[in-house]
Amino acid sequence: MRTRFLAIAALVMVIAAAIQLWWDSEPVTPVDMTRRAEVKAPEAVPAITYAYLPQYSHSTSYLRHRALVEYLQKSTGLAIRQVFPDTFEAHRRMVERGEIDISFSNPMTYVLLAQSGARAFAGIVEPSGRATFRGQIIARADNSAIRNEQDCRGKRWIAVDPYSAGGYLFVLGHFRDKGLSESDFAEIAFAPGPGGKQEKAVLGVYAGRYDIASIREGTLGILEGKVDLSALKVVANTREYPSWVYAARKGLDPDIVRRIASALFALSENDPEHERILAAAGMRGIIPTTDRDYAPCRELFSKLRLDPSKVGLE
Amino acid sequence: MNLLRRLNFRRKLNLGITLIVLFVAALLSVFVTRIAANALIEESKRRGAVLATNLALRAADPMLSTDFLRLRNLVDELLNVDSDIVYAFIMDDRSQVLAHTFGRTFPLDLLEANEAEDGHLAVRLLDTGRERIYDFAAPVMVGGREFGTIRIGLSRTKVLDVVNGMIFAISGLSVVALLVAVVISAHFAKRITARIGALKEHAEEIVRGNLHLPATTSARRNCWEQRLCGRTDCPAYGDTERRCWYVKGTACAGCDGRAYPAKLAQCRQCEVYETFAGDEIEELADTFDVMAHALRAHIAELRETERDLTRQQGIMRTILEVTPDRLALLDEHLRYLSVNKAFADSLGLTPPEIIGRSDFDIFPRDTAEMRVAENRAVLTSGMPIYREAQDHRDVIPSAGGSNAAPDFGPGRDEWFHLVKVPVSDETGRIIGVLSTARDITAIRSYQDQLIQSQKMESVGKLAGGVAHEINTPLGIILGYAQLLQEDVPPDAQMHQDLQIIEKQAKFCRKIVSDLLGFSRQTQSQKKEMCFNNSIMEVVSLVRHTFSLENVTILADLDDRLPVIYGAPEKLKQVWMNLLHNATGAMPDGGLIKVRTRLDIMNMTVTAWFADTGTGIPEANLQKIFDPFFSTKPVGKGTGLGLSVSFGIIEDHEGFIEAHSPLPPGFIDEDMPQGATRGPGTVFRVVLPLEPQGAADLPDTDPRAKVQEEEPQEYPNNENRTGEGTL
Repeated sequence: MRTRFLAIAALVMVIAAAIQLWWDSEPVTPVDMTRRAEVKAPEAVPAITYAYLPQYSHSTSYLRHRALVEYLQKSTGLAIRQVFPDTFEAHRRMVERGEIDISFSNPMTYVLLAQSGARAFAGIVEPSGRATFRGQIIARADNSAIRNEQDCRGKRWIAVDPYSAGGYLFVLGHFRDKGLSESDFAEIAFAPGPGGKQEKAVLGVYAGRYDIASIREGTLGILEGKVDLSALKVVANTREYPSWVYAARKGLDPDIVRRIASALFALSENDPEHERILAAAGMRGIIPTTDRDYAPCRELFSKLRLDPSKVGLE
Repeated sequence: MNLLRRLNFRRKLNLGITLIVLFVAALLSVFVTRIAANALIEESKRRGAVLATNLALRAADPMLSTDFLRLRNLVDELLNVDSDIVYAFIMDDRSQVLAHTFGRTFPLDLLEANEAEDGHLAVRLLDTGRERIYDFAAPVMVGGREFGTIRIGLSRTKVLDVVNGMIFAISGLSVVALLVAVVISAHFAKRITARIGALKEHAEEIVRGNLHLPATTSARRNCWEQRLCGRTDCPAYGDTERRCWYVKGTACAGCDGRAYPAKLAQCRQCEVYETFAGDEIEELADTFDVMAHALRAHIAELRETERDLTRQQGIMRTILEVTPDRLALLDEHLRYLSVNKAFADSLGLTPPEIIGRSDFDIFPRDTAEMRVAENRAVLTSGMPIYREAQDHRDVIPSAGGSNAAPDFGPGRDEWFHLVKVPVSDETGRIIGVLSTARDITAIRSYQDQLIQSQKMESVGKLAGGVAHEINTPLGIILGYAQLLQEDVPPDAQMHQDLQIIEKQAKFCRKIVSDLLGFSRQTQSQKKEMCFNNSIMEVVSLVRHTFSLENVTILADLDDRLPVIYGAPEKLKQVWMNLLHNATGAMPDGGLIKVRTRLDIMNMTVTAWFADTGTGIPEANLQKIFDPFFSTKPVGKGTGLGLSVSFGIIEDHEGFIEAHSPLPPGFIDEDMPQGATRGPGTVFRVVLPLEPQGAADLPDTDPRAKVQEEEPQEYPNNENRTGEGTL
């Protein structure tokens, strides 16, 4: 009996020791924390800067235009770096300050950028195949009180950004045409934070926080899978406006502009490689445009009695 | 181990439970705390991984926009949010630090200490010398491209502090559990051992013989109280000592009459069993009670049997001890197995001195040889032996048996009837000899007496016949002698001769008359008569003559004047004979005392004739009534007096007997001062007041009756009346 008892005790001790060993068996890397030095933020490499108006998050912007930027670098031989302004306003100012060489923005922003000397040289063909786009007024599908523009009177409205073309300005112009001014709404709010503003506007209505939202046509397609689109309905569409536009900052070497423009124009839907690049960027093709093509936008500014030079200061 | 065995059960139980709890506590401390600690470490690592991954996601946009402020805010926030985080820093894809929490300077070795592997999180344990840190390296991925790396450090030491706290808590809980377990086990052990102790005491009580103490001391309900059956005829009803399932043939439904434990299978289905059956200890106590109950019953039976046996043994012993027969049981080796007191007394030994010994040890050699040969013959032949033997051959003369046999004095042979029978066991094998020796000396004596009586009867009848025949010639001789006397002168020689002839003829006629009387060939008329007068007539007649021989007669007669039915002359002859015999026994004179007493109860009257003479030897007492028995010289007595008297008294349906010497006090006070006397003799004559046909009523023998009722009593002086010297 004594032997058995001792055997059990020994077994328990062996198991305890094994556990102890197993516990301490993790490999350890010694690190000398005393060897220290100051570190400095890395300086940016000189390059042509390319920016996408931050209507989406930086990551989305990067993902959409990364392939295109790489294509441009390769086909032009230029060092091109995508930069990410946090807001529309930051984008406009960076263009003004020359920190953005190539700007890809909506036409309404372009009208503002043009005031600082930037010039349009290319426009895109929308996934719809058109070189134009429009804004949309959406509401919850179960909101039976809103069936047309007039029903929006007195309702809470969330828009993308005061500078957003499809997400605000086009729809505001549309309401003006229908006889509604800003004061006819209970509230006009803008999607908060940097980037992702189109999605936030949709989510604002989807969540019931707002009655209607103004978004750029095509946004709902981007949100497919994230939001139950059947819970939403399109109340109205605005008229067509020129699509997104590539502009070169004032003072950029025209040769560089030409090389970039020709590379952009060379992108063909029929080339699988180009088609992948275009699809990632949300476009079907890039066509030449001139500043004059954006007269409708300037008209909208005047209709809204906005001074393009003062928009953005508010 | 001996020490452990010597520990009492309660301590063992306590020790065992304590050891178990200690063992479990140790297991908990070693295993559970380790496992839990490991889980905690793993959880911390997961937390670190989540924080690093989350930071990587959140850092993507600021990195894209090269917003160093936001990057710095991100790492600072992390440090604030989680105190276990030691550091956090963000590197770009060229391993250049964009933001960190180390203040002004950055530990350069940390850069190389860990790195994300193929776009996945990597965890590594770093040892800074002061503490150990889990380093998490999470890649910042945008669109599948690695933009940089997030590194955060989670203090393993702080996590271990939590683990140690947990171990401490578990250890504390274990100690508390140990204390609680010890208290509970002590209580539990106390209860268990108390019950076992009670059982032990009960068992000891049983060993001491106290079977009435119940083992189950606690008050309990019983089956009839549970069922309210009211079956008072049930053997279990009212039995508070035993549970019903121990009782055979209970009246409850389902009882098949079998006894415990066969009926237990049935009882297990019963609600009473389910309600009342206790644990093993209680079952043990119940079994003890049942055992005590059964033991009591068995012991009572045993005692009853023992009493019976003892009683029978006592009876048997009494029979064996009291019987005058000499009994002895011998084994097959002819050694004594058992002897009775009579046998031992005959040898002058005690039974224990004889048992186990052989005949050679206790008898003279020749006797022993004969006995052994005889016993061996019984053993071998299996045939019993019956024979008669005289004491000098088979028994020691001084041996017992004298109390049963008449004492004929020293030198007399004792006769025994010997029976030796074989003793067999149950298989029929002879295993011993039972020897019985019965003293038949008295029977032999009676046989002799009977032969003598028969002889005397024949002689009597012969003598009677002869007397009758010679009575007539004798009368003629007497007549002629008297006639011839008239023919011769009175002074002539012839006259004197004739007188002698006449005298002798008369003497012969007297003999003939006595012979005839003895043989009852003479008849006399019976009538009612006064017993006292009959005696007084004779006394008066002889008083003067006796006084000349210096013999005094005292008469002490019952004044109730008993009247009997008898022949007066015959009885007077008896009295005369007795008085003459008394005088004959006192040649130098003496005292004769005559006493009569009436016994109304037995309807008898008794007369005593006592003298102070020479007495009769004991050996002669039985013979004095025989005819022709005389101690007188030839020519002085016929030897027929007492036998004639015997015949007369017998004819009156009474009896006569003699006692010598005189019983003390019978005559002493009547003796003159200074006079000497012999042993003396007293004759006692008992007669019925109204004689009946003795042949018709054999059971009313007055002799037997009187002997029975007053065997040795003699009337004392206070009772007598009419006392005086006549």
